[in-house]
Amino acid sequence: MLRLVARRARVQWPLLAALLAVAVVGPTLLGTCALLLTRTAEQALETAASRATPGQIDVTAYAVTIRGERARSVADDTRAVLTSALAPFATTTAARASSAMRSLPGAGVSAVAYLSGVEDLPARTQLAAGRLPRAGATPAEAVVLESTARQLGLSAGSRVRLGRELADDPDEGAEVVVVGIVRPLPGAGWERDPLAATGYDPAYRDGRSAQPVHAYGPFIVDLADLLGGGSTLDRLEIGAHPDLSAPAVRDLDTVTQAVLGADRRLGRTLGDRVRIQRVASRLPSTLLAARDQQRVTTAAVLAVAAIGLVLTATALALAGRLSAGVRGDETALLSALGVGRGQLAGAALVEAGALAVLATAVAIPASSALHAGLTRLPPMAGAGLATPFGVNAVQVLAVAGGALALAAVLVVPSLRTSSQGVRGRRELLARSGADLLLVAFAAVGWWQLRDQPAGSGSPVDAVRVLAPALLLIAGSAVALRLVWPALRLVERLAGRARGLMVALAAFEAARRPQAVAAGLLIGLGCAAATYGVGFDATWQRSQQDQADLSVGTDLALTLTAPPVAGQGGMVGAASGGEVSPATDRGIAVGQWLGGAGDPPRLIAMDTTRAEALLRGRLDDGRTWNDVGALLAPPARAAGVPVPAGAALSLTGKATGPTPLTVTPRLLLQDATGLRTPCVGAPVPLDGRAHPLPDCATAEGSQLVAVSLPFVVATGNVGTGHSDALVEAPEGDSRVAVTLTVAGTGSGASPWTATSAGPAPGQLGNPAAALSSTSAGTELRMTTTVALKGPPDAARNLVATAFPAPGPVPVAVSARFADEVGARRGSRLDLTVGLTPVPVDVAEVLPAVPSAPGAAAILADFDALSRALAVSGDFDVPVDAWWVGRPTRGDAVDLRLGSVTTRASETARLTGGPLRAGLPAVLRLLVPAAVLLMIAGIVLHVTFDLRARAVEMARLRGLGMTRREIRAVLLGQHVGILLPLLAAGAVVGALATRVVAPLLVRSDTGAAPVPEVLPVWPWAAEAALLTGLLAGCALAVGAVVVVQARLADAAYLRVAS
Amino acid sequence: MNAGPLVSVRGVHRRYGSGATAVHALRDVTFELAAGTMTALVGRSGSGKTTLLNVIGGLDRPDSGTVLVDGTDVTALDEDGLSLLRREKVSYVFQTFGLIPVLSAAENVGAPLRLARVPPVERERRVALLLELVGLAAHAEQLPAELSGGQQQRVAIARALAASPRLLIADEPTGQLDAETGLSVMALLRGVVESEGVTALVSTHDPTMLALADRVIRINDGHLDEHPGPRAEDRLDGHPTSRDDS
Repeated sequence: MLRLVARRARVQWPLLAALLAVAVVGPTLLGTCALLLTRTAEQALETAASRATPGQIDVTAYAVTIRGERARSVADDTRAVLTSALAPFATTTAARASSAMRSLPGAGVSAVAYLSGVEDLPARTQLAAGRLPRAGATPAEAVVLESTARQLGLSAGSRVRLGRELADDPDEGAEVVVVGIVRPLPGAGWERDPLAATGYDPAYRDGRSAQPVHAYGPFIVDLADLLGGGSTLDRLEIGAHPDLSAPAVRDLDTVTQAVLGADRRLGRTLGDRVRIQRVASRLPSTLLAARDQQRVTTAAVLAVAAIGLVLTATALALAGRLSAGVRGDETALLSALGVGRGQLAGAALVEAGALAVLATAVAIPASSALHAGLTRLPPMAGAGLATPFGVNAVQVLAVAGGALALAAVLVVPSLRTSSQGVRGRRELLARSGADLLLVAFAAVGWWQLRDQPAGSGSPVDAVRVLAPALLLIAGSAVALRLVWPALRLVERLAGRARGLMVALAAFEAARRPQAVAAGLLIGLGCAAATYGVGFDATWQRSQQDQADLSVGTDLALTLTAPPVAGQGGMVGAASGGEVSPATDRGIAVGQWLGGAGDPPRLIAMDTTRAEALLRGRLDDGRTWNDVGALLAPPARAAGVPVPAGAALSLTGKATGPTPLTVTPRLLLQDATGLRTPCVGAPVPLDGRAHPLPDCATAEGSQLVAVSLPFVVATGNVGTGHSDALVEAPEGDSRVAVTLTVAGTGSGASPWTATSAGPAPGQLGNPAAALSSTSAGTELRMTTTVALKGPPDAARNLVATAFPAPGPVPVAVSARFADEVGARRGSRLDLTVGLTPVPVDVAEVLPAVPSAPGAAAILADFDALSRALAVSGDFDVPVDAWWVGRPTRGDAVDLRLGSVTTRASETARLTGGPLRAGLPAVLRLLVPAAVLLMIAGIVLHVTFDLRARAVEMARLRGLGMTRREIRAVLLGQHVGILLPLLAAGAVVGALATRVVAPLLVRSDTGAAPVPEVLPVWPWAAEAALLTGLLAGCALAVGAVVVVQARLADAAYLRVAS
Repeated sequence: MNAGPLVSVRGVHRRYGSGATAVHALRDVTFELAAGTMTALVGRSGSGKTTLLNVIGGLDRPDSGTVLVDGTDVTALDEDGLSLLRREKVSYVFQTFGLIPVLSAAENVGAPLRLARVPPVERERRVALLLELVGLAAHAEQLPAELSGGQQQRVAIARALAASPRLLIADEPTGQLDAETGLSVMALLRGVVESEGVTALVSTHDPTMLALADRVIRINDGHLDEHPGPRAEDRLDGHPTSRDDS
């Protein structure tokens, strides 16, 4: 038999070459997918790690309260723990430490100050005067911030003696010599300074005293001096940055586990040398999230491989069936000569095995070349995944396994003994059963996908891998069932025609059952290709939607430190867009704090410009302007203009014998709507004018609210040492306080005065009036203070340039509405920071911008800050700047925090190293499907026409011209192709609509938010179908022309 | 019955291949066929029978010589002209029946009528008539695969007669049939020649079939060697000549 196989191969080499060509496609696709899942996946993880931002991979250890003699050892041990946790990667560390507060005797009033040591000081500060401190000097050298120097009148050469630590410590104090003045650089970690690098706080509360004190600092000495100087460290922070520029996956896994255990290890290492210690890092979650993303991509790549395998198997089944048909006479002859079924099977196995070996030999380099080429094209090239030509073991195994499996598909038809052209009842029953089974499996797959939107969580989700292929093949099989009755109908109609060509083409198309396998391949190929295009568009659209919603605006600048007045103008100038301060933080809703680590979120921004600022999909035809109109106050607050540098003073008088003081807090609004507080020092109500700090630091500022918390004076204002009054005060005190803003005209709006909670009854008849005088604008506030009660009871008069807003209108996310049971008109109580804010639900949204999938509330920033202000809370939470329609990308240069744009987020989601494999492999599916489909068509048409060559000659014998024969053949095949392509397109469209939304995942593997909308890209699909039709027509036309030319008398020479 | 020649073949040569391996299928063949007669063409396999039939029917072209069918020079016709000739004047009956497998018996018979764009009503009437003529009215809707060999050949004959051709060429019409069935098919051919007034040229190597022919032409290695048929020795219209023989 081997000789027979060899001789037959020599004679039938074109047939075998065609089979080999088809058989190579599937293993090549498999090999490419294997490389994507091994080499590229590893490379993607490594690239993603190397591209991670410091915030994503840095590890920071914190230690709190360290006695001076242990400071150095604690720092060294902490550094060692971090370095070992990040091994084998090279790690750079940077430490920062602050001492406990020490008294500052020379400040005039009771004041405190602290020492700090900061590594890498030149990178974190800009030297304004003098020089940076040197280690080991006596007394220790220090630099101070400009504001500290200004407040304390320090300059280079000044000597400052810091007194005892406030804690119970016998330390005698420390002396430093100031050698330089510095200013802090943004984005250099100064937000973690005890005074947030403001240099001075006139009302510092350290938790040990009821009264605020003046705080100054830091006095920045060399870190070694601080660690060895005997000062108690209030906090020690060591940050470690691993060098992941060339990471290996195994090392990344090692580091993930080590960092996860670093906190416990640090605790064991430091023991009781510190009061609290903690290791914080996003590195494990970053790397685990990368694994999650990789799992999502892996499932998608495998799903495409499964579709490719099914397609190839179908093509090979067709090829096997056709070749068996061609060899039917030969098989019959061999059987007649006494060759047994086993011998025939053996010959078929040998031939299929040889084909599998050849296919493997071709597919291995082909898949390597395809993979290398694919990685050099967008989006993989842009993701840094370009890979040279290479072969690995997994690829070889996948290719060989796939080739062998496909060879088995090729063997089966050659063993069939049923008569050609006529389907037996058993075959029909088997096919019906197979169709039903496929439909059942597909239905189960779809149900599983729908029921488990988050996936199974296993490394490879079998449902996600197999469901698309099952659905496509089941859909194609069902569609095929419908195509044939349609062709029968066409046949009946064509039978009424007068001529022969149309009728004959219709008869041929409808009555050739052997076209079933070809029909399945054509339908499946078209379905797979159109589904590939549709899924790609759906996936891209979903990533865009996710990016829109997760950023919430065009550009979000998340601040690392509270903003200052005028910062919005800088952001606007750097970005060229519309700027709004934005709040994005967790809140409490009544008693509800949300799930673990998932509190309800409050998003607030300027909703009067919602359309320009907000991004994310809305439903029911609503626009963001519609939503914004429900949330914004009817008019902007018009406060008292405060020119930059304007002098502010406060004069107050209280009746009665009990002295009162007030610590004024002003709320100023800048041109971008940012509201920042300005706190003055405690002022006695003694009838004299007291200057306030320089609150107006930006042009265009307006004073919109004033808070006057009255305190019964104990005689030690501002010292932090409260001495009890001899007698408890009783009765009321009529208070009048006037705030003068020099050199301005009055604002237009009337002012409103209220007594802020939580004990508003402590103040009576609060009132505020604005007037213009020659000195400027005067805001006169009066009230009656109830003196009875504890000295520190709330007696807070709040005057605002707007009326009390009442409940704040908010829009809530659908999840929030579900969890809280809220709907339009519901009244809720939020707690923002420590301040209760009543809100009314004005709208329910699918999701709130920047809070996808969260229980979130959207409010107007102005309305929210008004509500906080009337409650006496001037610390309006601002976490970010949101910019709509930016035209420039310079915001990142401001170094105010991290900048995220919709475009960058979309690029990350669609073209990041861990995601780029998915669109790439989808684009691989389409040409593979088209190629297999056209190959199948060429095979089918070629075999069909060869088998019918005599028939063609007979038609010529009947008097048909070659042209008419060509027309009949073309009509027949196009008559079959058109409905099959249409059916395939319908199946592809249905799969896109039904399955694609269930397969699109977020980068965490969860169901995306917003909900995935299926996209059917009409233009791309039309182009694809046109191309398919043209390709098919070209292939069929070429074969038909050749075959019609061969249809001559030679085929009739049967008797001579 | 028309006494003039319907077919006139003069000096036809047909060679396949070239050089030493060339095969001379026809060598200077000259003869005529009278209209309304049935002529048997006999010879061994490879003697050139099918080549001669194909040359006369326009399915093959001679290297030299002329073939006139009903006054038309077949050798001068282009592809379309030949197709028109076969559509209007010449019909074929093949040894392997030549039916289109996907068409029923009636549809096969109706195919030439469709080619001639005969109106459907008339087409159906004529198909029914012809199937009745060949005794297969009851099998009109059956596919060829569902018919016996003899029935298939009857359908082929009915199809050949459908377009009322002037010349019916049958290439070994009984070659795949048993003797009894073959005889009945030949009898049918004989009958339709007489009833339809068709001129028939039938190749066969079965001596028993010769009894039904008006005339017998023997072909041997591309040369003709003619004998009058037993039924019409006295009706020979002309004497075939072969230059090789002369």
